[in-house]
Amino acid sequence: MDPQELKTTAAMAMVELDESGVAALAGAVDQMLEYFTTMAAIDVKNVEPTTQILAASNRLRPEGAHNNNPANTVARADAVLEQAPDLEDRLIAIPNVL
Amino acid sequence: MNNKTKALPRERYRSFLEHQDRAIGSFLEIGAPGVWDCAPGNGSASGDDPPRGECSGENGPHLTDLPLAVKDNIAVEGYHLTCGSPMLQSLKAPYTATAVEKLVEAGALVVGKTNMDEFGMGSSTSNTPLGTTVNPWDHSRVAGGSSGGSAAAVAHQLVPVALGSDTGGSVRQPAAFCGVYGLKPTYGAVSRFGLTAYASSLETIGILGSRLDELEAVFRVIRGEDARDQTSRAWPRGDDEGEGSRDDAPPGTIGVLQGELGLSPGMEKSYRATQEALTDLGYRLEPVTLTTLDYTVPAYYTIAAAEASANLARYNGIRYGHRPVFAENPGELMSSARSEALGEEVKLRILLGTFVLRSGFQDQFYLRAQKIRTLIAGELDRVYQGVQALLMPVFPCQAFLRDQEEGMDSFRQKVADRFTCTANLAGLPALAFPAGVQDGLPAGMQLMGPAFSEERLCRVARDLSAVFPLQFPGTSRSFSEWRQGSDAARGGS
Repeated sequence: MDPQELKTTAAMAMVELDESGVAALAGAVDQMLEYFTTMAAIDVKNVEPTTQILAASNRLRPEGAHNNNPANTVARADAVLEQAPDLEDRLIAIPNVL
Repeated sequence: MNNKTKALPRERYRSFLEHQDRAIGSFLEIGAPGVWDCAPGNGSASGDDPPRGECSGENGPHLTDLPLAVKDNIAVEGYHLTCGSPMLQSLKAPYTATAVEKLVEAGALVVGKTNMDEFGMGSSTSNTPLGTTVNPWDHSRVAGGSSGGSAAAVAHQLVPVALGSDTGGSVRQPAAFCGVYGLKPTYGAVSRFGLTAYASSLETIGILGSRLDELEAVFRVIRGEDARDQTSRAWPRGDDEGEGSRDDAPPGTIGVLQGELGLSPGMEKSYRATQEALTDLGYRLEPVTLTTLDYTVPAYYTIAAAEASANLARYNGIRYGHRPVFAENPGELMSSARSEALGEEVKLRILLGTFVLRSGFQDQFYLRAQKIRTLIAGELDRVYQGVQALLMPVFPCQAFLRDQEEGMDSFRQKVADRFTCTANLAGLPALAFPAGVQDGLPAGMQLMGPAFSEERLCRVARDLSAVFPLQFPGTSRSFSEWRQGSDAARGGS
């Protein structure tokens, strides 16, 4: 992967890569991608991809109001807010958008 | 053994853990306030070994006061949830994973959180700046990974059982390196709710233990459908072989993986000894070759990296986790947070995953890997029509050196996942078991079976335990041994 391609990929992944970062990762990325290309040797004609194993179909929850995620209960809200790096009252603060 | 009358002397046990863990560094956190102190049994004067779990009981497995260590990517309220990453170093779990919740309800006590490779990405527990874990058998060697802390804690007799997670071998490989049992259950058999996501279609919560009956007792408690994990599956009713297991294979027939396996001399010797032991025990061995074996690792890393790039996109320093000191705008804040707090191996996998999902490259990499996954699952399905389980090594070599120059480089570590990641790609259960000690280090083998055949795998491993009894490293001490020594030293001073 040429350095510009690597920087574009890094930008999509929201990872900053300066010249030294590119130098540090480029070798390992190339080595892995070259390894991935060995997959070309196996015949996959007419083979369906597997996205989920063992499950015949998607399982859906019953229609209706429910809350079975303990992280979403009101009682847990404070515990979750306490994790925020920067708070103003009960709002998570971030730098100005504009 | 009557667990109900024995209570764990918790303060002494905490001292034992803190003292004994100094040598191996398996824990990141011991005894969180509120989890440990308030639980019943505190202050008991019993000096015996901690209670052990039992498989059978009128009301299901007894786990009363069973000390349990939990890998630090599984949520336990009151404890941190670092995932071995500076990104989440300050994060406290706001809730408890279903598997842990079930164990606590059955009486188990979470005594601490164990070290791991950052976000589960690694085979050594060295890919983390949060702690240094060494192999209890030889401190110059790695404990394996990514559940290396859990494996080392069990091998060093700090806890009888520990939870880990297995995405491509992360329970079985450290179990093999440290000489303990390691179960990777069928995909969906154990709820992943509360397990921090890395590669969702591949990973399961797994169990590491020094005794098979305890490992099974823990598995029976944690398995089953969970409304909070849509990929979880109900354990098949009826006998423990389960509906998913193939009964058309002749009883007592074990497949043995053949071919160019690239094993070290120690592993080769152990692999042969395991086959001889199985024959002596009356099993019939059938040679098996897997035509897909050479494609498992590239397919596995393509899929795992792709899923990781999506799952780890949530770590951006906004709601929790590391935040840079200054950022001009939200975009800069997110990319700075990620660049500062994610390690090199994590960045590598995120970049690879982003790349293989990019338009123009998807068919060549990600889609092809998913098709190879279909071929692997199909080939194994055919194998299990002829054999009840498949014997394979866990890793091509025993625990490698921690020294980066003399040890195993990161690329070779990935290629060496070829025997373990097959089970993850196919969603099948596999059990790593100790198969003797070669040159002072444990050698681990594994049995992989059809879906829901965990009990069968444990039965075969139990038969083998008569030939390969579990051994602990000479420097480890059980709680009662440590306590006797500690009391004697106090009395003498």
